[in-house]
Amino acid sequence: MLCQNCGKNEANIRYTQIINGVKKEIALCSSCAKKLGMENLEMPISFNSFLGDFFNDYAETEFLPMLQTNELKCKTCGMTYNDFIDTGMFGCSDCYDVFSNPIDSLLKNLHGTAKHIGRGPNGKAEKIKVEESKKEDSNKQDQNQNKKERLEKELEKAIKEERYEDAAKIRDEIKEMNK
Amino acid sequence: MNWYLQNGKDSDVIISSRVRLSRNIEGLPYVQKCNEEQLKTVHNKLKDITPSIGYGLKFISLNDLDNTNKQALVEKHIISPEFSKTRNKYAAIIINDEENICIEVNEEDHIKLQVFSSGMELENLMNLAIEIDQKLEELVPYSFNKKYGYLTACPTNVGTGLKVSVLAHLTALSLTENIRKVLNAVNNLGMSIRGMYGEGSKPEGDLYQISNNQTLGVTEKEITKNVKLISQKVIEQERTARKYLAKKGIDLEDKIYRDFGVLSNARKLSEEEARELLSSVKLGTDLGIIKELDDTKISKLILQTKPANLQLRVGKELSIYEQYIERAKIVQDIINEK
Repeated sequence: MLCQNCGKNEANIRYTQIINGVKKEIALCSSCAKKLGMENLEMPISFNSFLGDFFNDYAETEFLPMLQTNELKCKTCGMTYNDFIDTGMFGCSDCYDVFSNPIDSLLKNLHGTAKHIGRGPNGKAEKIKVEESKKEDSNKQDQNQNKKERLEKELEKAIKEERYEDAAKIRDEIKEMNK
Repeated sequence: MNWYLQNGKDSDVIISSRVRLSRNIEGLPYVQKCNEEQLKTVHNKLKDITPSIGYGLKFISLNDLDNTNKQALVEKHIISPEFSKTRNKYAAIIINDEENICIEVNEEDHIKLQVFSSGMELENLMNLAIEIDQKLEELVPYSFNKKYGYLTACPTNVGTGLKVSVLAHLTALSLTENIRKVLNAVNNLGMSIRGMYGEGSKPEGDLYQISNNQTLGVTEKEITKNVKLISQKVIEQERTARKYLAKKGIDLEDKIYRDFGVLSNARKLSEEEARELLSSVKLGTDLGIIKELDDTKISKLILQTKPANLQLRVGKELSIYEQYIERAKIVQDIINEK
């Protein structure tokens, strides 16, 4: 088969494109493929644009009617929302503020939330213990023990002061803990 | 000995662990939007501070490495294949001699801090990564936002900027055709699991990478714990599958010894063939069927039969055909090593 672009050389690369279920195929020779920017055939699908498409679909159905996100542009790096859709990547830190509105929902879709709760700069990082599960358990037990002792004292005090209604509540609480 | 030749915890199933933090420098656009001058600023800034980080780290421009050396790092899973092919002349790595710490400079983000270990070693790696990260953030101002956390070029990394992953050898699950179930289960639990090579249904060498998807709205500790939990479940499943296979006795032994026979007697070996045979022989060693080999030899065989590491071992560039021949020789050398 001859190359469908130049019609001269033998085609040795088959390029398949599927957009919205419509399949297009073209056979090319290696020099035409190179000319058309398809030389990097090890990774013919750009993952970034794939991600962008995902956002785009989401943005169209969810936001575009209400917010004209496509008009947004980051003044610092010149990134527009459309650029972001194309590449799936932000241009600079300010993009996160500029596109804050549309990206909140995108982040929720990706991560289930749009709020960071991990560590931050200058924050003291707690060391992650290798045997953490056991230690947590024993801590919990200690805490329970303390709480029980405190409640027992309160119970004594309540009885002494003839606050029987309070005493009954405390007694129930201790009972609950002993279960 | 470098980490990738060492023998770690649960290393019958888990080949290696990795913790990666993505960071950007405040006041500069992300790598994709940087002009030459800005990329150079990132490059020089990190070059200047490298001695202050410690850990015996050295700054190396990717430009100063030849293709074989870059490919060798890819084969050790220390840098990504995309990064090794970058045309960005200000791309660099900050790496130590043990190669268990490697910071990619000017990859997708300005800084990609990675630490590695053999076997299953997530908590210690996480602590090491945070320790280095804290040193780094004293030296370079990070781009951080109260609401979104550490900002990254790609929104899939924002927040903690943390990806925790393990590389697992799931050969028995694959042989017993249970791998799909495990892949589905892991994916349903919000983790990602994917074959390490190739795109086909069966990744070559039965190597799978398990990592977290969520980076925002979870703490570093939770991510570490979740990846560990999932990995332990997968380890359990793989070990169950191995026990099942072992019950078949002679059939499995026969397959493994045939593969070992080809591996140790072939005079020519392609990369793919070596990888397939080694996957089977590694299983045989882990199950105690093959007594001629140990874990260190297996790690060495797996690494040094890969094209770039093979050429580095031989000490010269080789054609594909020459590689076939040298590979077979190297395999025999390593098997016979005392």
